[in-house]
Amino acid sequence: MKKKLAVMLAMLLIPATILGCGNSSKSEEKSGAKYVFLDETLGVESYAIGFRVGEEELAEQVSGAVQALVLDGTYEKIGEKYPDIKDYLCLKADGIDESKLPAKGSGDSSYTFKHGFDLDYPPYSYRQDDGTVGGFDVELCQAVCEYLGWGYEAVPFNWDAKDMELNAKSCDCIWSGFTKEGREDDYTWGITYSNNTQGILVPADSDIKTLADLKGKIVGVQTATSAYDMLEDSKKDLADTFAELKVYETYTVAYNDLKAGAIDAIAIDMTAGSFLIADDNK
Amino acid sequence: MSFSTMLSTMGEGMLRTCAIFFLTVLFSLPLGLVIMFLRRSRFFIVRTITKLYIAIMRGTPLMLQLLMWYFGPYYLFGMNIRGYRFAAIIIGFSMNYAAYFAEIYRGGMETIPQGQYEAAEVLGYSKAQTFFKIILPQVVKAILPSVTNEIITLVKDTSLAFTLAYNEMFSLAKQIAASQTSFVPFVVAGVFYFVANYAVAFIMERIEKRFDYYK
Repeated sequence: MKKKLAVMLAMLLIPATILGCGNSSKSEEKSGAKYVFLDETLGVESYAIGFRVGEEELAEQVSGAVQALVLDGTYEKIGEKYPDIKDYLCLKADGIDESKLPAKGSGDSSYTFKHGFDLDYPPYSYRQDDGTVGGFDVELCQAVCEYLGWGYEAVPFNWDAKDMELNAKSCDCIWSGFTKEGREDDYTWGITYSNNTQGILVPADSDIKTLADLKGKIVGVQTATSAYDMLEDSKKDLADTFAELKVYETYTVAYNDLKAGAIDAIAIDMTAGSFLIADDNK
Repeated sequence: MSFSTMLSTMGEGMLRTCAIFFLTVLFSLPLGLVIMFLRRSRFFIVRTITKLYIAIMRGTPLMLQLLMWYFGPYYLFGMNIRGYRFAAIIIGFSMNYAAYFAEIYRGGMETIPQGQYEAAEVLGYSKAQTFFKIILPQVVKAILPSVTNEIITLVKDTSLAFTLAYNEMFSLAKQIAASQTSFVPFVVAGVFYFVANYAVAFIMERIEKRFDYYK
């Protein structure tokens, strides 16, 4: 019986090693970009912090603290750690009126701020190399809590259940590369801290060079993302020219399909897309 | 991320997966017995309500049921649901699986000929004695393969707990796959499920053999 089990295990582990090796050797042997974004984009969106409707006071306090962190350089310093995001951070120190911001440590020290986010969304919020929870949004939110003197609690939720979690008060905000456009009235919005562009990702040797070239092609997108919303709404005309718009649960699977040649392009925001292709483009 | 970090991170998730699994088995097996009795009750009302319960539990997705159990108290009664997450998951899983187990038990009970009850009565057995000494041992023998099926399904269903933001093993695999842009976590997850189910099948086979005393 033991022997049988061992053989079975070994058989299962073989594909694991092949997959593991395959990934690393691929990125080593080729240099230069293998996947690129089209110059034409789908549009720009802003990432902001979403609060329950009516919680203006909390939104203002958190937004004020974010601005204070821009002034003291923490915002930029966190950004340095995430090269894929750096160019999309839109807050600048000039123009911020320091007198209107909450003072350091002015928050209620017995209060714990519950940060709701998706752990499938690098580099804003994701599981890091050492297995811990991190990302730009997580670090910025922690810095905000530290500044105000609040406790911090991570609530990594299921993205599909985000509104239920927020309304049931399991978390106090949705802060996870959360797009404001199209949701203006659904939340009380905090400050916009990052801009992002929705683009089209294709293999470097692809004959697709413009959005018009996507006619008759298969394009992949992740469900419940801004790219998906755009293709269903404002960019519906473009989506109608595709042979098929393939909707995935996660971009990881879509990207593997692109690598395997099963689809021709992926509609994705630039930061998440850059993160996705970083290993293969080394 | 090194392979060992991946394993240790997913290892935590495996413990959480096992917690759901063992607690659900612990609660749903006996609860299924209770539901089976209610389902076979002499009273029409009790029978009908139980039938409806089983129909709902089997007829709706477990994912929806989990959302109902967790968010229901808040939306219906405005209750504070802080710290209730894990309990909701166990309640959701146990209530769902108990409905399936009840029907499996009932199937086993139906195979016992009426003559055995009559014979037991003639021999002076009480109702409880008849059930525990004569009926139950035969029923257990008959239903074990179906129960094994259901338990194996449960191992794989634990991944649904992520609906309620519970970071069990498969959700960790998805997170690591997203951050590492790699398929390896899914292979590790597959190996884990396979080994776990192999163990379940092995243990159940042993139990079946122990009940094979007439051969």
